[in-house]
Amino acid sequence: MTISAERPTEVESSPVSPVAIPEKRGWGSGWLSQHLGTAILGGFLGYIFGHWLGNYIASGYPYIANSGQNSVADLLALLFMVVGWLLGIGALNYPLAKMVGREAKSEVEYTGWSKYVRYNLDHKVVGLQYVVGVLLFFFTGGLLAMAIRTELLNPTTHVFSADTYIKIVSEHGTIMMMMATSVVVGPLGNYFVPLMIGARRMAFPRIEAFSFWTFLVGYAVIFSALPYGGFPTGWTGYAPLQTQAGPGMISYLFGFAIIGVGMMTAGFNIAITIVNYRAPGMTWSRVPVFVWGILSTAALLVLATPVLFSAGLFGILDKTVQTAFFVSEHGGSSYLWENLFWFFGHPEVYIMALPGFGIIGEIIPVFTRKPLFAYRIAAAGMIGVALLSFFVWQHHLFQSGIDPDMRPLFMLTTELISIPTGFIFLVGMGTLYRAKIRFEVPMLFCMAVYFNFLIGGISGVFLSDVPVNVTVHGGFFVLSHFHYTIMGGLIFAFFAGLYFWLPKMTGRTMNKKLGLWHFWTMFVFFNLTFFPMFIIGLLGQPRRVFTYAKNLQSWNDFSSVSAFLLGASFLIFIANLMWSLFIKPQKSPANPWDSLGLEWQTATPIPRHNFDRIPVIMNDPYHYSEVGAPALANFGDGGTVHSDSSTVSSDPVE
Amino acid sequence: MTDTIKNSDRPSSTPEEQEFELRAHIGSIWSGGRLFIAMYTFLDASLVFSYFYLRSSNNGLLWRPNHVTAPTSYGWGIYTMILLMGLMAFYGQSRLRKGSVFDWQIAGWIGVGAGLVALMLQIWEFTAVPFYPGSSGYASTFIGYSVMNIGTLVVVTYWLETALARSYRLRKELGGVSPVLSMHESAQSFRANVAAMTYFFGFIALASTLLFAMFYLL
Repeated sequence: MTISAERPTEVESSPVSPVAIPEKRGWGSGWLSQHLGTAILGGFLGYIFGHWLGNYIASGYPYIANSGQNSVADLLALLFMVVGWLLGIGALNYPLAKMVGREAKSEVEYTGWSKYVRYNLDHKVVGLQYVVGVLLFFFTGGLLAMAIRTELLNPTTHVFSADTYIKIVSEHGTIMMMMATSVVVGPLGNYFVPLMIGARRMAFPRIEAFSFWTFLVGYAVIFSALPYGGFPTGWTGYAPLQTQAGPGMISYLFGFAIIGVGMMTAGFNIAITIVNYRAPGMTWSRVPVFVWGILSTAALLVLATPVLFSAGLFGILDKTVQTAFFVSEHGGSSYLWENLFWFFGHPEVYIMALPGFGIIGEIIPVFTRKPLFAYRIAAAGMIGVALLSFFVWQHHLFQSGIDPDMRPLFMLTTELISIPTGFIFLVGMGTLYRAKIRFEVPMLFCMAVYFNFLIGGISGVFLSDVPVNVTVHGGFFVLSHFHYTIMGGLIFAFFAGLYFWLPKMTGRTMNKKLGLWHFWTMFVFFNLTFFPMFIIGLLGQPRRVFTYAKNLQSWNDFSSVSAFLLGASFLIFIANLMWSLFIKPQKSPANPWDSLGLEWQTATPIPRHNFDRIPVIMNDPYHYSEVGAPALANFGDGGTVHSDSSTVSSDPVE
Repeated sequence: MTDTIKNSDRPSSTPEEQEFELRAHIGSIWSGGRLFIAMYTFLDASLVFSYFYLRSSNNGLLWRPNHVTAPTSYGWGIYTMILLMGLMAFYGQSRLRKGSVFDWQIAGWIGVGAGLVALMLQIWEFTAVPFYPGSSGYASTFIGYSVMNIGTLVVVTYWLETALARSYRLRKELGGVSPVLSMHESAQSFRANVAAMTYFFGFIALASTLLFAMFYLL
């Protein structure tokens, strides 16, 4: 089915299902309806009810009475907190109405700020909600990182006890990893994928909204670990430490399961949207590379996260009803957790990397004014990485939990994955080759990604080799490696995407001078923080330990001071955000970077349904500087977009 | 799985655009049903992996001391009910394709009943298991399987019940026209939903066969 370039007259929707005219409401009205406040109230009441129920059910059991710790009550409190939260925000209205056969009512269209604190079905609102959500995760995790580096300033004078330190490390790692899984897919994926594929909507807008509100309550669940006394396992939650840990472990396990539900639903909705809602003419060879990145990530989210979910469930059962999945003395195995966790955990690494590759693949053609080099190889590389990521998890078990004879196989598969990753890297290099680069802030972040990821990637190849892995396992070398890939790759790419797309999302121009300050401080202090950690690691400093050899103090102090300055660089970003959006807002041009991307061809602010007419795609969006390239899209009113001009022209279709 | 068309106000559209949106919607239900199966496959696979991992590890010879088994009568009962649900779903779907909404509804209500019975049996079985949850690897994985099965039964019974409830209301909305015959988008959406659901039920019946054999027969 195609949509012809000639547009017939408009017709109204079927008379059988009349389209309700949405009621417009503004900030301050409709407060009896469901919003963030009712969600918090629902979560609070649910928590109290769950705790009471848990005590009612289980306080008489001997093992609970003897231990003085009712893990059933802890679990039910969190479970009902989530249910209350979802009831309070309105996520369960439709699923409950369906039980009596009702279809969804037309949504009340809230205007102004009010819509951002509600269960909103507009993917653009959800995208902006995610921006705030991931920044909340990021800055909380960042503050914990500052606490870690403060402790490591001195090996003998301690700010925290060893016990508190490991709990801070654990909370930092878990919050950051939860954030990182959604940092691009949530804000930028939800916001821009429909715009980039020419869709007016997501396939399952309620599932999309559900994913965000689940993600947000996941923050509360995982943060509840601290008042529960924290958990000592790091973000990996290894047994048997997991089994021995206190009630904070329930928050970790349940938090990961809840975030996992959010990840699965987000990936599900986005994957289905990309497969089904691509505009006519948007063949697979014309799909923007960012969308390829998001699609491959979504596939990993949908397929790998169920394993995390069941691992979390088994851990919860061990903690509450005393099963023994991970208790070797009772027929379980602590290595089972390692296998389940890393079967999810290694695809998780690529869940974090692929969207970053997508962003930079999307941005660099804009600032080099060159077509993306070897587009198909970039797409194939992403698919290759996604597929291979399921076959490498055992390299996390090189030290324990694997038959030594199996090591070479997983060493090989791990090294193999560097090939498609290298493809993606070379696609970027090919695009940069002999280009006249415009060094705008987003492009600088992209260049930084290549620099950082090169270090992170090459150190990863070393780590895949068994001898090196065994030597540096559990030390700062590994820590530095994954910070170079995740923060140096993904987070830099995220900021590249934010600076690139915020003008479209907000209609405001980000201050360039502050942006440059943010970039340079972040880039310099990131490297000054984490590069010394390679050296510290090779000199033998282990992770997750609050003291170290005295001769490593100068390296650690250097790293800590750099980390504080790195933290300060994010204050510049916040200042820029406040300045550019609220204090002295400047209206952004319609297409400030002269991008050919479909998302830039819509009006700003973007209409509720993105496109007045579903566009017919006629080319891919990377034909920069190609004179005579065919038009990119037909917007149905005779307007087309040409590759040598980023503005909508009124030329007839060629 | 029908959450796509009527959930929000729509812009004015040309007939071609309406058709495009409808096809995308139907396609979403189709591919969503299949992707849901893929998700569930990985979920079940993690349980199967755990079962065989602990079984082959046999730590402290505590995989399954004295070959203790969960109550097979409950197991057969639950399995039979799940199979009945699957059969009813396929039978109902075939009747629906031939135009008989009523037959599908009857089959559907039998399926809902079977789902509820299976759910009740699955919960009640906890009172009859002859082992402590942490007494062995088998006991642990069995409890994990039971909890996951409760979740599965809730999902499938809910899905079937909502489809049935929708079928009654839909007939009224279509002015008495059968949802099988109508070309209205709600009717097409309903049929796609039923097809996806039936496919999923088939998968659940297959997966249940494997899991039943693992936990009750092996």
